[in-house]
Amino acid sequence: MTERRAVVTGLGVVSPVGIGLEATWDALVGGRSGIDRITLFDPSPFEVDVAGEVKGFDATDFMEPKEARRHDRNVHFAVAASGEALRHAGLLGDNGRVNADVNADRFGMVFGTGIGGIGLLIDGQKTLDERGPRRVSPFLLPHMLPDSASGQVAIEFGLRGPNMAVVSACATGGQAVGEAMEAILRGQADIMLGAGTEAPLVPLAFAGFGQMRALGTPKDPDTGEYSPAMASRPFDATRDGFVVAEGSAVLVLEELQHALARGARPIAEVIGFGSSADAFDMAAPAERGEGNQRAMRAALERAGIGPDAVDYINAHGTSTPLNDKFETTAIRDVFGEHADRLAVSSTKSMTGHAMGAAGAIEALVCAQVVATGCIPPTINYRHPDPELTLDYVPNEARAAEVRVALSNSMGLGGHNSTVILRRFEE
Amino acid sequence: MTRTPPPRDPARRAVVTGLGAMTPIGNDAQSFWTSLVAGRSGVAPITLFDPSDLEVRIAAEVKGFEPKDWMDFKQARRMSRFAQLAVAAARQAIDASGLEIGDHNRDDVAVVVNTGGGGLQEVAVGEMTMERKSPDRVSPFMVPMMSPSMAACQISIQNGIRGPVITSVAACAAGVQAFVEAQRLIEHGDVDVVITGGTESAIMPVAFAALANMGALSKRNDDPTGASRPFDANRDGFVFGEAAGVMVIEAAEHAEARGATIIAEVAGGALTGDAFHISAPDPSGYGATLAMKRAIRDAHLEMEQVDYVVAHGTSTPLNDATETKAIRAAFGAHADRLAVSSNKSMVGHTLGAAGAVSALAAVMAIRDGVAPPTINQEKPDPDCDLDYVPNEARKMPIGVATVNGFGFGGQNAVTVFQRYAG
Repeated sequence: MTERRAVVTGLGVVSPVGIGLEATWDALVGGRSGIDRITLFDPSPFEVDVAGEVKGFDATDFMEPKEARRHDRNVHFAVAASGEALRHAGLLGDNGRVNADVNADRFGMVFGTGIGGIGLLIDGQKTLDERGPRRVSPFLLPHMLPDSASGQVAIEFGLRGPNMAVVSACATGGQAVGEAMEAILRGQADIMLGAGTEAPLVPLAFAGFGQMRALGTPKDPDTGEYSPAMASRPFDATRDGFVVAEGSAVLVLEELQHALARGARPIAEVIGFGSSADAFDMAAPAERGEGNQRAMRAALERAGIGPDAVDYINAHGTSTPLNDKFETTAIRDVFGEHADRLAVSSTKSMTGHAMGAAGAIEALVCAQVVATGCIPPTINYRHPDPELTLDYVPNEARAAEVRVALSNSMGLGGHNSTVILRRFEE
Repeated sequence: MTRTPPPRDPARRAVVTGLGAMTPIGNDAQSFWTSLVAGRSGVAPITLFDPSDLEVRIAAEVKGFEPKDWMDFKQARRMSRFAQLAVAAARQAIDASGLEIGDHNRDDVAVVVNTGGGGLQEVAVGEMTMERKSPDRVSPFMVPMMSPSMAACQISIQNGIRGPVITSVAACAAGVQAFVEAQRLIEHGDVDVVITGGTESAIMPVAFAALANMGALSKRNDDPTGASRPFDANRDGFVFGEAAGVMVIEAAEHAEARGATIIAEVAGGALTGDAFHISAPDPSGYGATLAMKRAIRDAHLEMEQVDYVVAHGTSTPLNDATETKAIRAAFGAHADRLAVSSNKSMVGHTLGAAGAVSALAAVMAIRDGVAPPTINQEKPDPDCDLDYVPNEARKMPIGVATVNGFGFGGQNAVTVFQRYAG
């Protein structure tokens, strides 16, 4: 029996820089920021008033209006991105469900989120406070729980295989893609969605992040002028925090022989996954990115490649002072001299930080990078930080020979996940 | 249908070496088990908040829980109750297993602790703070405290565990899923030890209001201990509860090398999705049946080898009838020889912890050769016609026990435990 391999056969995304793969990729390559003043609620009571919102999104373009009304925004994004990914993979039938010739019992998903339907929960709490318990929606519980996206996507498209919703704060997306790869390699399924979704733009969550003193200020660091697009400045010396964002990304992972047998075209191959914990602090990362280092090393080992084989790293690069510093140190410690030959960029400079969706969005970026040979830049990079001396692909996209790309994700609580993708080769 | 899994490396079999529990009927594994076998209900009027304006005013709460008995008082204040319960249960399980976690092994231990919702109370508290005061009074700890992954993280932080730390949410299937994941981590050699289980604490007004309005909860406010009656004809819904169940699971070679007492083996498991409805189970029970069959095959066993099924058995009209049908479809004629019981008759439905609590019951049932009962069996339901071990525990040899966990959204998880033969 030939060894099982997990290839990517479809991509779907809803992000602050675009709805759909093409729009998102064009914006990232064009270095366009998706960060702007918040419109989803009145941000005036908040010191920081910008976020990476998905713009012009109408859930009813993707779901029945009745279904859409009951579901949280994170589920809307998940369904929209999943539909695109399935169509892209050639797996979507005319009836909007997965093709009848695909064994749906062997088609599952790992659909992660950081916090799930927090918006619905808050609405429910308000209803309870203002109008009493009998007015609380009977749909609240199943629609609010963090696994409602994985449940609804399975229902929407008829996917009956292994179904998991992982939660590892901001490391979720990477964890989901990695676990999906493992499920394929271990033979638990033939097709898996590796995906993340998040819709955290509600005043309370925003207040919580603000109180952690972790948000980037929307100011041009040189002129002091209000500039939402400049709030996320990963690796720049003036970086001062991250930007909360929303969105969803879905990678269709498929066993290679299964994909070839149905004539699908592999876009990339997922070859490695590593996961670790800092065991250090609920919010702060460990010194020197020690946990991140162990995740990268575990992923390289799982992929069976040495550090020298990696060409590009899509950094976690949140734009907080500590993350970017420790991640840089971790990359230097793991890659040694090869670190200076790596291209490292943070697409969070454009998308902001979509929490549980971030790792999936960035794994999708890695798939595109190895498929197209084009690396999206780190924008807003003007003032090199003397301590951070990697090649961050500043401000402009770059054409490059990229065979292997690595995506880092780290989360509150000390989660670390790393996934590695390779250009598809027979 | 699908392929048979390759034979299992005996050295990498996943064995259970320590148990921990914080439940409505006992604050450690042995107390929980003693109550379960005695048929004691943990359902009572709600005390964690004033429920007087709610339609449903009963719950299965953990009683007399003092976080400071189990962890540093200051750290406990920065944990939501679901994380506190899990940290306490993990402490018990690690202590009971005799496992020392130190520099020699901390990278080779993982935590897989699942939940349904996580720190939902923190969201409610935060929202009230913001409404009544202002955004800058919201706790800077709210975001990490509410995160569903924080129970697993806190177990990692409190015990210095640096391997993978994983939380998956699968509503009511979450607790079972944890064991499926843990067994795979060990089998594939990712780590030698996994601290695994489930936790949930959402005894809060908005959850009770929403579940009551869904028609999911039993309304027997005047008869708390009789409220949860899985499979009985007069069942009218589940009783919402809170709990944490945690086990130490390790590779057989690792447990044997350190001379640990092996309680049972995690033999296999499977996950499936109904792809049917966000809250109702597929009435055909297809996904549930598929999960049971695949789990047994994953364990390299035959359906006929199963002695005891820890049912999901929520006490809702729909679940119990569907589950009965699914068990019959999976086991065929052997279904009539199975003992099937639901501990939810005593501990209520603890959502993300339920599967872990059931796993504890399965392991101790194998250890002691006792099937705990389903209490409140008074009037048989013609649609529920299995042997539910009514009202009294039964001594019987149990070599193989399976645990069912089915969640909102149609997530099905089944895990299989067996006596460890060495």
